[in-house]
Amino acid sequence: MGELEQAVLEALWDLEGSDPERPGASGRAVHERLHGHDGRDLAYTTVMTVLDRLARKDVVVRERDGRAFRYAPRLTRAAMTAELMHEALEGTRDDREQALVSFVGEASEEDLAALRRALADLS
Amino acid sequence: MPTPAVLGVLAVLLAGPLPWVLSRWTGLRRTPAAAMVLWQSTALASVLAALGAGLSLVTARLWEDPAGTGDVVVAGLAAAVTVVVLARLLVSGHRTGTSLRRMRRLHRERVDLVAEVDGGVSVLDHDVPVAYCVPGMSGSRIVVSRSTLTRLAPAELSAVLEHERSHLRARHDLVLEAFAVLHLAFPRWVASASARREVEVLVEVLADRAASRTSGRRALLAALVALAGSPAPAGSLGSAGSSLAARVEVLRDTRPHPWQSAAVSVLAAAILALPTLLVVRPWLAGLV
Repeated sequence: MGELEQAVLEALWDLEGSDPERPGASGRAVHERLHGHDGRDLAYTTVMTVLDRLARKDVVVRERDGRAFRYAPRLTRAAMTAELMHEALEGTRDDREQALVSFVGEASEEDLAALRRALADLS
Repeated sequence: MPTPAVLGVLAVLLAGPLPWVLSRWTGLRRTPAAAMVLWQSTALASVLAALGAGLSLVTARLWEDPAGTGDVVVAGLAAAVTVVVLARLLVSGHRTGTSLRRMRRLHRERVDLVAEVDGGVSVLDHDVPVAYCVPGMSGSRIVVSRSTLTRLAPAELSAVLEHERSHLRARHDLVLEAFAVLHLAFPRWVASASARREVEVLVEVLADRAASRTSGRRALLAALVALAGSPAPAGSLGSAGSSLAARVEVLRDTRPHPWQSAAVSVLAAAILALPTLLVVRPWLAGLV
């Protein structure tokens, strides 16, 4: 399912800006894109299920458009990556709950000097 | 001395002075595995002693024959305090647990949507180097950024990955969570903050040990230099800085410390076992 969600989100990102009048894309357009571009033979209902699931995860924004919905990614791919990076770097700082466990947090000049000394002493 | 008083004094000693002393004994980190057990047994024993002090005071007063009004009042107060301690722990545990699991799930879901998976590692397309793990019962992730892959030599990268894998293998997240729960439940009067800080250092030291065993100390230190030396995001320098200094200090020390390790382990066992055997058992036996 994860791989399917990735493909659908990918298609939405590709379709961004295809219609300058209206943001987002219809479920039909996403279905066609997956079929035409990726050669995926997915049922239309499957695509709709995945779109709804992405909307529930707040990754995709759903807006009513007449009798159907239009779907748009909440963030661009770069912005979503930046958001994750921010969460990862943020988590290393204060004494809140540690949701993510980082390899190394922020380092002071003294820390870096101690590190370099330790490395130099090895050689 | 009566049982409630013994347990009460013990609870205070284990919650305040002992953690205070342990957090100042930096040499303890040279035996990180034993130190970890000692911290956990100290925390567990202090909670048990506090609960035991309350409960034994209740029974001491009510089992009295005949129990006067004063006895009932004291017993009621002791019961109330015990319930408050237990309730704070349960509420804090529930809150911390749900919020951690939620944050991790949300993070993992988005990682799965944008990251490219390469050899079991999720790679984010970003030019700030990071490496971290998202722990979780239902699927954990090790995440690095593209820039980590390009900056690190193969041995350095394997040190980083082994460090993260060791966090996940040993379920360090659960230990961190337990001490976060304690700190949230009792933020003041007890040494819960320093206990938590020290345990945070210890899990890093343990993961560093695992990494240097497989990839070598040199590779690990070089990886630390590469990833810590990168421009840090804006913001003040927090306690993370001193934890790095502590890690380097332990990494420099390669001598084995079997005696310290044994002594610390014995102390950890004694802290849990002795009060149970010498105080709690006689008290429980006296009730029936």
